[in-house]
Amino acid sequence: MSGDDASDSTSPPNRRATTHIKTHIMKSEDEYDYLFKVVLIGDSGVGKSNLLSRFTRNEFSLDSKSTIGVEFATRTVTCDGKIIKAQIWDTAGQEKYRAITSAYYRGAVGALLVYDITRPQTFEHLERWLQELLNHSDKNIIIVGNKSDIVNMRAVSTDQAKEFAERHNISFIETSALEATNVELAFTNILSNIHSTISANKGTTIDEDIPSADDNVGKSSKIVISDQPMMGAKQKDGCAC
Amino acid sequence: MLAPTHEEEEAISTTSTPSSPPDLRAQKLKRVLQEPIVDMAQLRKLSWQGIPPELRANTWRLLLDYLPANADRRNQVLDRKREEYSATIPRYFDVDDTHRTNEEQTIYKQIQLDVPRTLPTMTLFQNQDVQQALARVLYIWGIRHPASGYVQGINDLATPFIILFLQENMNKEIRQIDPSTIPSEVLTRVEADTYWCLTKLLDGIQDNYTFAQPGIQRMMFKLSELVKRIDAPLYDHLKQQEVDFAHFSFTWMNCLLLRAFPMHLSTRIWDTYLAEVEPFSILHVYVCAAFLCHFSAELRSKDFQDMLMFLNNPPTQSWNLQQIDVLLSQAYLWKSLYENSPKHLNHR
Ligand SMILES: Nc1nc2c(ncn2[C@@H]2O[C@H](COP(=O)(O)OP(=O)(O)OP(=O)(O)O)[C@@H](O)[C@H]2O)c(=O)[nH]1
Ligand SMILES: [Mg+2]
Repeated sequence: MSGDDASDSTSPPNRRATTHIKTHIMKSEDEYDYLFKVVLIGDSGVGKSNLLSRFTRNEFSLDSKSTIGVEFATRTVTCDGKIIKAQIWDTAGQEKYRAITSAYYRGAVGALLVYDITRPQTFEHLERWLQELLNHSDKNIIIVGNKSDIVNMRAVSTDQAKEFAERHNISFIETSALEATNVELAFTNILSNIHSTISANKGTTIDEDIPSADDNVGKSSKIVISDQPMMGAKQKDGCAC
Repeated sequence: MLAPTHEEEEAISTTSTPSSPPDLRAQKLKRVLQEPIVDMAQLRKLSWQGIPPELRANTWRLLLDYLPANADRRNQVLDRKREEYSATIPRYFDVDDTHRTNEEQTIYKQIQLDVPRTLPTMTLFQNQDVQQALARVLYIWGIRHPASGYVQGINDLATPFIILFLQENMNKEIRQIDPSTIPSEVLTRVEADTYWCLTKLLDGIQDNYTFAQPGIQRMMFKLSELVKRIDAPLYDHLKQQEVDFAHFSFTWMNCLLLRAFPMHLSTRIWDTYLAEVEPFSILHVYVCAAFLCHFSAELRSKDFQDMLMFLNNPPTQSWNLQQIDVLLSQAYLWKSLYENSPKHLNHR
């Protein structure tokens, strides 16, 4: 990867605490308490891009293009009284791209691991995807069985998937991006899991207002949970859940 | 964009090809195409500046070396190649799944997933027969090129050929073609020509699609080095915001900018690529640099997230051919300045 100088994938997520500076130019939706980087992974065609567009824009398309490289979108939600901005990275599913896409996992604190309930192979591959993820530091993970609307072609039973998730001690949910079933829940579940993890872990550093070297005036975020740089917040699609 | 240096200005005046008005160029091109043995150097030179739509199909066939320069041999070659392709279908495609190796099955399934997601907004590509033709082209290419196999994005690369050859055969603009009226012998021809032209196109860029995609990695690296040299403020801003060139340029490399522009403009860019004497992947990196730097000011006012959203969906819907000409000239200029002087790239 070009000029790849991002931090080692095994290092723990950065927890940066910065001063919260309020200025009158800022719109209220620009403000958030946390920024979480979350990745969508799983085999090609399971519906990752449509889960993303359903969650961030409430859109679904039966004929979206395949994802090449990486795409991303954000949405701001409220969890346990905190404003959380989710920055969701949608990766390409084809095996061929694995060498490239795994670089995008870096810095993610959560992953939605998606399979297609009508294609058993996408479920069987979960094991491999999990391995891939665990190689990239421990994250909050949720297994998502998508396309639950296609009832008559179901090939992976709910119990089977539940059993798999329990065995790996991971949350599990079935969704339909098409019918907008449980999509909201899948994302908010993982976001609040991440939030409780960091709340449980949070030491003294995280709540204190320690101005860091790269603390920029006008940036409204307090805490960024990710290896990504602190980013300004100008997203307009924010909306509470 | 930075103002051209003295050195650069000189390069413009001495190296740019004289551009003649489009209709004059069309006439010249027509004359070149009618010669018993096409003067390829002349054809390349004229094509570089854009090929009139009505001449594009045959010109591309010639530039890709699918058709021979010698007019006498053309029909024979076409017949043989189309025949040869058709013969591969029962051997490779129309076989039972149980006769496919695991890899072949994987390729087959991936193509079945991608074909309905190829140019999904065009009714033409929603047509069953067109989708079948595309699936066969991709599958047969994939299994005959085991070093790479089929990789997502190659489906995109086949679309300009399908559109071009259908337009030629139906003698209609693509949006005017009712897919249900395409005679099957026409589609058969279009499919075979698409297969061979795609094969020729990919011959030069195979390592974009082999394991870990080294060709793409190299191009992305070169792009970043170029931008560092050409537009340091933009480069610094990207670095400061920790935008990796892979975040946005991977798709540009993988799909040869097809997803960054409307089809008629991508096709114009490809005219130039196919007319290049050197491998077009060299110029392509410069075109990507010119494209990125075109948005320099805008990008520098954006943060990480807004930059990526912007570059994922660049505002090119309203671009016209003149803007593409400017982009290509800029790329040409930078290429002639920097390509053989790597020292330029190494120091800031
Ligand atoms: N019935 C149904 N179809 C869905 C659902 N989600 C996605 N699809 C369809 O499944 C196909 C693939 O969806 P995508 O979102 O493109 O899949 P992806 O996982 O992003 O695929 P890659 O980008 O190739 O990795 C598309 O045709 C979608 O319309 C769903 O919940 N129900
Ligand atoms: Mg996708």
